[in-house]
Amino acid sequence: MGNRLRRQDAAFRFVTQGFAFLVLLVLAGIILTLIAGSWQSITRFGAGFLISSEWNPVTEEFGALVPIVGTLVTSAIALLIGVPVSFGIALFLTELSPVWLRRPIGTAIELLAAIPSIIYGMWGLFVFAPLFADHVQPLLIDVLGPIPLIGVLFEGPPMGIGVLTAGIILAVMVIPFISAVMRDVFEIVPAVIKESAYGVGATTWEVVWNVVLPYTKVGVIGGIMLGLGRALGETMAVTFVIGNAHRLSSSLLAPGNSIASALANEFTEAVGELYFSALIELGLILFVITFIVLSLSKLLLLRLARREGKQT
Amino acid sequence: MTSRPELSASAPGEALAREKIKIEVRNLDFYYGKFHALKNVSLVIPERRITAFIGPSGCGKSTLLRTFNRMYALYPSQEAKGEIVVDGEDILASRQDLNRLRAKIGMVFQKPTPFPMSIYDNIAFGVRLYERLPTREMDERVEWALRKAALWDEVKDKLSQSGMSLSGGQQQRLCIARGIAVKPEVLLLDEPCSALDPISTARIEELISELKSDYTIVMVTHNMQQAARVSDYTAYMYLGEIIEFDVTDQIFITPKKKQTEDYITGRFG
Repeated sequence: MGNRLRRQDAAFRFVTQGFAFLVLLVLAGIILTLIAGSWQSITRFGAGFLISSEWNPVTEEFGALVPIVGTLVTSAIALLIGVPVSFGIALFLTELSPVWLRRPIGTAIELLAAIPSIIYGMWGLFVFAPLFADHVQPLLIDVLGPIPLIGVLFEGPPMGIGVLTAGIILAVMVIPFISAVMRDVFEIVPAVIKESAYGVGATTWEVVWNVVLPYTKVGVIGGIMLGLGRALGETMAVTFVIGNAHRLSSSLLAPGNSIASALANEFTEAVGELYFSALIELGLILFVITFIVLSLSKLLLLRLARREGKQT
Repeated sequence: MTSRPELSASAPGEALAREKIKIEVRNLDFYYGKFHALKNVSLVIPERRITAFIGPSGCGKSTLLRTFNRMYALYPSQEAKGEIVVDGEDILASRQDLNRLRAKIGMVFQKPTPFPMSIYDNIAFGVRLYERLPTREMDERVEWALRKAALWDEVKDKLSQSGMSLSGGQQQRLCIARGIAVKPEVLLLDEPCSALDPISTARIEELISELKSDYTIVMVTHNMQQAARVSDYTAYMYLGEIIEFDVTDQIFITPKKKQTEDYITGRFG
C-alpha cells in the first residue's frame, strides 16, 4: 500500500515538474525562433537597426527607432496617467468609500478590464479621437505649445490620432488592471497595522502613503508591471489610433508607430525576405524590452527592500 | 458608601476621591450595528495610575478601550452614545480633531504592529506628524523613547534595520516606544502581552509600572494575575456592563459583588 502511494507521489512529482519545465522549453523555443527569423536582418543592419529611423520597404532599408520610441512613449503616457488614477481608485475603494458603493465600482472596473481591445480601438478612433481633435488638442497646442522645452511636444495640427491619443487609450485600458491589483493588495493590509498608524494621529493620506503603500509595495509594483506589460504589447487599440506613420516627430500629437502595431499592419504586406526578417527583429526587440522592464522592476524591489533595512 | 448604591459600580469611594480624574465616562452605550455592546457604562480613569479592565471574552473591555481614542470611528457601522470627558472636553460630542485626539491618547495593540520601515522611522513616524524636529533632536527623541521602552540597548546598533526583523517581544516594546514618542497623555494598552512569552511579558509589565509616573495608563487584560500585579484600579466587566470598579487590591481580596468573586477565583461558569 505504502509503495503504491509512494509511486503515485513520484508520478505526480514527475508530471508537475514536466509542466513547469514546459514553460522553460516554450520560452527558449520562442527566443530561438525569433533570433533565427531575424538573423538576416541582424546581419544586414547590425546595431544600426536600433538607432535608424528609416523604414523603406522599396529600398529595403529598415530601422526600428520609430516603433521603439512609439512603444516606449505610449506606454510611458499610459502609466503616467494610469498609475495615479488607479491609486486613487484603489485608495477610495479600500479606505474612503461607503460600503454600499464598493461593489458596484469594483464590478465596473472588472467589466472594464474584460472589454476586448478592438472595442477600445474602435471607440478611440470613432468617438475619442474626433472629440480630442476638436476640443482638447487645440487647447494643448495653444496653452502648452508656446512654452519652451515642453512646447515641442505639443506642436502640429490637431488630427485626433497620434502618439498622445494612443497613450491615453492605453491608460484607459491599463487602469482596470492596475487598480484591481492595487485594491486587492490594499485590502490585505491587517486592520491593526492601519489602526496603529491612525493611533499615533496619522490622517488617512498619511496612513496610506507611509504604511499601506510600503506594506504592499511588491503587489503594487506587480500591478503596475502587469499594466505596463499590457501597454507595451497592446496591438489592436494602438493600431487604430496611433496613425501608423514611420516618421520620428518630437510632437506627441503627431502620428507615430509602435512595435506591436507595425507588426500587425505590415506582416501581410511583407513580401521581401529582408522585410519579413526586419519585422521579426522588431518582435525580438519587443521581447527584450519587456524582459528589461521586468528586470528593472525586480531591481527596484531589491533596492526598496535594502532601503527599508530588511538586509542585515 | 452605602448611601449611593446606584453609583457603587462607578464610584469606589475614598481612594478615588483623592485622585485627579483624567477620563470620565458617563452613560456610555456602544453599538456594533444593531448589537448593543456596552450598556450604560460609567466610570472614571484616574490620572497617572494604571487602570485595568478584566472580564471574560466579549464582555466589552476592548470596545470600551477603543472608545477613548475613537478608534471605532474608522468603521461606519460602529456607534457610541453618551459622554467621554477627557480634560473637561467631551470627545464624543464635540467636533474633535480625531488625529490630535489620537496623538494625545496613544494605543498599543494585542499583536505587535511595527510599520514596514526601519526601527528609527517606526519611532520617528508619529513624531514627524506633529513636530518638526531638527535631526539631532529627533535622534534624541528616538533614543529617549527606546530607552523608556527598555529597548535601546538591544537595537541601538541596528536602528536602520526593519522593525519587522525584531523578535515578538522586541516588536511590542517598539510599539510601546512608538506610542510614547509622541508624548501622549494617556496610553491605551489592549492586551499588550497576550502574544508574548513570560520573559517579555515581565519586561513589559515592569515597563508599564515605570511609565505610570508620566502617563495615565488604561489596559485590557485577560490575565488576572497581570491585572493584580501591575494595576492600581481594576474594573470587572461582564456582558457590556461594569460589574465592579475599585482599587485593585479590593477587587482581588475583598470583592463586593459575588459575580466578581466568582470570576477572579475561577469559579466562573
